[in-house]
Amino acid sequence: MTTTKELWENALVELELTISKPNFNTWFKDTHITRIEDGVVYLGVPSQFARDWLSTKFHKDILRSLRGLSENIRAVEYVISRGPKKTAEEVVRTSAAAVSELPLEAVHQSTNLNPRFTLSSFVVGPFNELAHAAAQAVIRKPGIAYNPLFIYGPTGLGKTHLIQAVGNHFRQNAERKVYYVTTEKFSMDYVSALQSGKVQSFKEKYRQYDLLVMDDVQFLAGRDKIKEEFFHLFNYLHDNNKQLVFSSDQHPNVIQNLEDRLKSRFAAGMVVSITPPDHQSRLAIVRTKAAQHNVILPDEVLEYIATTVEGNVRELEGALNTLLIQFEMRGEPLELSDAKTLLRGMGSAIKKTVSVQEVVKTIANFYGVEENSIYEKTRRKEVVRPRQVIMFLLREDFRISFPTIGDKMGGRDHTTVIHSCEKIKNDLRSDSILNQELHQIRLMLK
Amino acid sequence: MKFECIVEQLLGAVATSVRFVERRANLPVLGSILLSADGGRVILRATNLECGVEITIAAKVLGEGVVAVPGAILYGFLSNIKGKTVSVELKGEVLKVEAERATASMKTVPHEDFPILPRVSAERSFSAKSSDLMRAIRSVGYCASTSAIKPELQSVLLFGEAGKLTAAATDSFRLAEKTVPLRVGGSVPQLLFPARNAAELVRILEGVSGDVEVYYNDNQLSTHIGEVYCTSRLIDGAFPNYRQIIPKSFSTEAVILREDFAAALKSLSIFADKFSQVSLQIEPAKKAILLTSRNPDVGEQVSTVRATIQGDAAAMNFNGRYLADSLQAISGESVRIHSNGPGKPLLIKDAADESFFYLAMPMNR
Repeated sequence: MTTTKELWENALVELELTISKPNFNTWFKDTHITRIEDGVVYLGVPSQFARDWLSTKFHKDILRSLRGLSENIRAVEYVISRGPKKTAEEVVRTSAAAVSELPLEAVHQSTNLNPRFTLSSFVVGPFNELAHAAAQAVIRKPGIAYNPLFIYGPTGLGKTHLIQAVGNHFRQNAERKVYYVTTEKFSMDYVSALQSGKVQSFKEKYRQYDLLVMDDVQFLAGRDKIKEEFFHLFNYLHDNNKQLVFSSDQHPNVIQNLEDRLKSRFAAGMVVSITPPDHQSRLAIVRTKAAQHNVILPDEVLEYIATTVEGNVRELEGALNTLLIQFEMRGEPLELSDAKTLLRGMGSAIKKTVSVQEVVKTIANFYGVEENSIYEKTRRKEVVRPRQVIMFLLREDFRISFPTIGDKMGGRDHTTVIHSCEKIKNDLRSDSILNQELHQIRLMLK
Repeated sequence: MKFECIVEQLLGAVATSVRFVERRANLPVLGSILLSADGGRVILRATNLECGVEITIAAKVLGEGVVAVPGAILYGFLSNIKGKTVSVELKGEVLKVEAERATASMKTVPHEDFPILPRVSAERSFSAKSSDLMRAIRSVGYCASTSAIKPELQSVLLFGEAGKLTAAATDSFRLAEKTVPLRVGGSVPQLLFPARNAAELVRILEGVSGDVEVYYNDNQLSTHIGEVYCTSRLIDGAFPNYRQIIPKSFSTEAVILREDFAAALKSLSIFADKFSQVSLQIEPAKKAILLTSRNPDVGEQVSTVRATIQGDAAAMNFNGRYLADSLQAISGESVRIHSNGPGKPLLIKDAADESFFYLAMPMNR
């Protein structure tokens, strides 16, 4: 079984063979399956022209190719639908920006928050309960409890959900002004304010809020003017007891190219991390999400998803959605075996084994030193550090014993290895650049 | 297929149809006009799949049939011939067009692939005088956005309430709204009529008088007037709720003569910079509005327009083109300008006519 998208793509491949190219390009552009119900395929087409023409000229071909792919399909209906929204293009305004815009949007978009994100739809587990509790405290006592609240963790674990939920709850009191902004948007705003000479109104705009929620602040790194503007904004809001909420993919102390004055300010309130969910939490998440879709999946299927798809919550949702679409299409319960075939390739259940040589090669490459020099008995500074990093990673990430590591590294003593690991471990506490490097190397080794 | 008809009629129909053909189509048949002859009439059809047109003309039909010919070629030939009548005959795959002093043979296009023009059932409809509908669209159409980023702004909004039809368009820098009476049909939901297709409809309406019937459903809008049927897709989206941004009270009101204002703006454009910037100073003490444009490479100009002013002095900068645009929809002798000072939109109205207004945002430099 396949998803509706694949089903239609396969059908199009067949149709393309039977229909002339100009006809195919004209009429089948922008078509897609909107849904499948009781064996009826609802085909979304861009206009009434296309609907009338497809249904009179190509109906038989379409039905035949769809039936060839899935026997359950017995009819095709055509509906006019613009299709899945294309991702909005980034607009860089040029000369037109000289004229201000009519406030057509601002009226209903004053907070920039997505109302879908609330605390009630947030699944709490040991991996995020601290962050959740902190968020609740902020909602109860804004500006007093934890200011700023800084939430960090890897991608796809619900940081944005949580911080927007704070905003959404805060907003229920209509007198309080809330604004959610991504760091990217903040920077763009600032740049365009600079260009149009409206820095003052930019300042005023951001200083009026009682709660400012800012996403992905790690992107502030390296942008000096924007950091400075941000710094003043932060001070102003903080001094006036306005609540600030931030998210980032890293602890503020290890964000590169960030001044200490900002780091210390970020860390001044409450810094709390969200870690990848453990097995129990994943199971709870899958169950809640399935319930939100009004679908009850067998326990073993839920269990399977939670076991197979490790790590991030977004991937969990993706896996679940794949299954739900199948479920909708077929209208019969999913079995464990179906789930297994569908989710093949999705999970990372089998931890990839990486050979020592590979690790050495990757890290030597990363630091730009000869691979062979790692194994040699040289104590040149540029070789020693990579070698220590290699030993540290082999020990920490791959659980190889100290003597084996020593052996593989050109016959070194195990005490040398222990020393190296301790050294790197110690350096990691203070050296943010080393932290970054390790983060990148780990990504490369995945 | 063979028929004879009056040159003028055929030329008129072809000239209208040819604007609907798609010149760079994937499908060659979309670049052509479909002619079908039967029972004393010839029907011409053309479409670019965004909108389509169908025109019936009277003809002496000597042999029934259907043919598709490249629109540009047929139009090019017909627009240059002399004489009163023309005879058209299909011979094999070639269409022979014979006029008094010229004869042409045109290669035809296989017509089997020519699409069906969508029909809209008459269930939901309204009608208006063609001149009214034309005025409504023309008064606002130039404000529609040309950028594809917000498709809903590439449209002319049409809706009806209490026996009146309202048309509005905006590109988010300026906005125009015009209200005209409806003949039949009191309430019409918001229809987002693509501005390009609306402009084509205006050109059709220019040539005819009488009532125009408009049929619509969720996706399509069709108009019927005389022998011309025109159909267009509608844009799927929500038009911004623009009524709530129209200011209710103003700090300054000025009345000026439309002609003075138009002449001043026209000559100011000579000295305008690349943003067409025009600065507007309302001076109650001098009973005048001062308009200035300045281009460092050319020079500058100051024009004084006499005005009756109530309220405070105000000074703002505008894109001069945006101001001039508003005047094309105003036919009265004087224009009323309402302002709330810098940074706030300027409202322009016909002093004697409440059915139109224009809102322009100032420049922020």
